[in-house]
Amino acid sequence: MAGVDSGGGESRSHAKHAKKRKKKRVGIRVDMTPMVDVAFLLLTFFMLTTVFNKPQTMELNLPPDEKATVEVAESSLMTVRVDKDGAMFWNIGSEPLQALAFNDLRSTLIQRNQANPKLITLVKVHRDGNYKMMVDIMDELNLANITRFSLAPMTDKDLQLMARAATL
Amino acid sequence: MPKIKKKRVGIKMDMTPMVDVAFLLLTFFMLTTQFKPVEDVEILLPSSHSSIKLPESDVMMISVTKEGTIHLGLDSQILRERLFGVEGKYKASMQVTKQDLANLLIQARVANPRLRTVVKGDRGAPYGPVEDVMTVLQQTKITRFNLVTDFEKS
Repeated sequence: MAGVDSGGGESRSHAKHAKKRKKKRVGIRVDMTPMVDVAFLLLTFFMLTTVFNKPQTMELNLPPDEKATVEVAESSLMTVRVDKDGAMFWNIGSEPLQALAFNDLRSTLIQRNQANPKLITLVKVHRDGNYKMMVDIMDELNLANITRFSLAPMTDKDLQLMARAATL
Repeated sequence: MPKIKKKRVGIKMDMTPMVDVAFLLLTFFMLTTQFKPVEDVEILLPSSHSSIKLPESDVMMISVTKEGTIHLGLDSQILRERLFGVEGKYKASMQVTKQDLANLLIQARVANPRLRTVVKGDRGAPYGPVEDVMTVLQQTKITRFNLVTDFEKS
């Protein structure tokens, strides 16, 4: 404390002189080059490691209860079946199955939905089938603006139907 | 001629604006960078045209690998410790069986009700395990979930 006080007193006693003689500012020069070098190094590192594309997601809603059943007229139920090799078949109601190429899926879906606006699409994928196939089909459904679709497990009856359709 | 050396002219340029911009970019990249979490399983995503973004936090990720195994990943360390014990604390995801999955999902949802469920399946994964996962989700009353995909340009 004393030191600070005496220092203050001294500066006050010299105040008259200090007013006349301005303290000269000392320009401090620091070499910024290394800092800037490091900054650029980090900048390039972060620029190169940053990944901007975040994965996208597809939203899916399942019916809340498995037991909840919706009565659908057979004529307005379109079933798309995919077997384990990725071959696709479609039919409406209990019509015979028709083979379908993936490229024709969207046009078929749009066409059928225009013919019957109440159409509900049921997608059945074989358990050994490909997950990508399901995502692709759902993507096509979304692109065709079809929101009323559901996923169902494949039964033996579906397998028989597909086997029969494949031999034709 | 050879004796008179040309005097080099020292060019002084004001670097301040450039350095300012560099620092600005540096801070931007430093703050926006998110390091990819170390993943135990490698998953190649299928592509879709959907443009909904993956939420950044409160994510419960169910991964289905190419071989058909199911992994459950959580982004919170505390939650991981609670579910999988100490060994799972520092792992991004743990392999689970479909029998255990329902229980773990319920526990996780009780611990953090804001958790969003996300299913991340490999491009070449068989559909069977995915179907099982969806059945489990339906049983545990998680009726709204997202499938992770890559963005496909059309």
